[in-house]
Amino acid sequence: MDVMKARTIVVIPAYNEAETIGDVIASIKKEIRGADILVVNDCSSDDTELKIRCGGGSVIYINNIHNMGYAMSIQTGIKYAKENDYDYVIQMDADGQHLAAEAKKLLDAAISKKADIVLGSRFKVDTGYKSPFFRRIGTKLFEFLIKIFCNKTIKDPLTGMQVLGRKVVSYYSELGAYPEYPDAGLLIEMIMKKYKIVEVPVKMKQRKTGTSMHDGILSPISYMIRQFYSCVIVFIKFVGRKYE
Amino acid sequence: MNNLPFIIIALIVICYIISSIRREKLSVSISFAWVLFCIAMLILAIFPYSLDWFAGLLGISYPPALLLIICVAILFVMSFVQDKKIDELEQKITNTTEELNILKAKKNGKK
Repeated sequence: MDVMKARTIVVIPAYNEAETIGDVIASIKKEIRGADILVVNDCSSDDTELKIRCGGGSVIYINNIHNMGYAMSIQTGIKYAKENDYDYVIQMDADGQHLAAEAKKLLDAAISKKADIVLGSRFKVDTGYKSPFFRRIGTKLFEFLIKIFCNKTIKDPLTGMQVLGRKVVSYYSELGAYPEYPDAGLLIEMIMKKYKIVEVPVKMKQRKTGTSMHDGILSPISYMIRQFYSCVIVFIKFVGRKYE
Repeated sequence: MNNLPFIIIALIVICYIISSIRREKLSVSISFAWVLFCIAMLILAIFPYSLDWFAGLLGISYPPALLLIICVAILFVMSFVQDKKIDELEQKITNTTEELNILKAKKNGKK
């Protein structure tokens, strides 16, 4: 499929990202031509909505009625993509960490390698990206879990920068219980379901403003325990099915 | 083994939870607390004296009282958490319905 012919939508969940969202939209318009942009405004209390409107009429936006969280905002975007029959969904963050030019690389890889999921990996080659301590431990732990459960090496399973193909979009949009943190557990599920997953090294910027949802000490620890649990459960779920 | 029935009950509950998740009747995040609960039950059933040890640590002379206190506390917290959740859901449903009604009204107006 030709890059220009594939119908692509960039899904950006945004919660109080007024400072960065404008630049993110502008850079996507410049770098990924022909792609539609959908911002899911998750009940922001700042000027995020205003900034999205400044992006011009070509930016589609959804205002969530409630604050639904990161994962549900993404699922909203994915459902929109499914409803409107897009070929590819590019998932990007609104905080300016993910670069549009790098996202374009993922999209190209998805098309040329016919992959179902393309992950933007910070650690596949050394890009000089430094993540917080707990994040690094988490990344290593989930890399290890995926390795032993699925015998596949994924260097950056916690990445939020992904390209999803049509089959995956349709699968995700129908998940009743879309996980709170759509990372490692979901990846294991997709690997076990034999979707083709490709990792592409990308550069990312260190975040400039705001706080990550994985800041602090308690929150990343609880995140890791829950994610670990969900990996094990997903594994049990599918191993059981294999023998049925 | 007098504790065999309790071990079996805990195992049955764990199996039930996992099978519920597999049939997609229960979400992974909600099952977390319940699985923890069952594991605690298993540990207590396999090592009943861990309760005595723990009671001694807290200076409680009658260990079964500790068990009851813990159970009541857990139930209390759970019921509070659920109440909070129900309240939150109620508000969300009300809000969603209102928004939906407004949308419908707009649609009717256009006709």
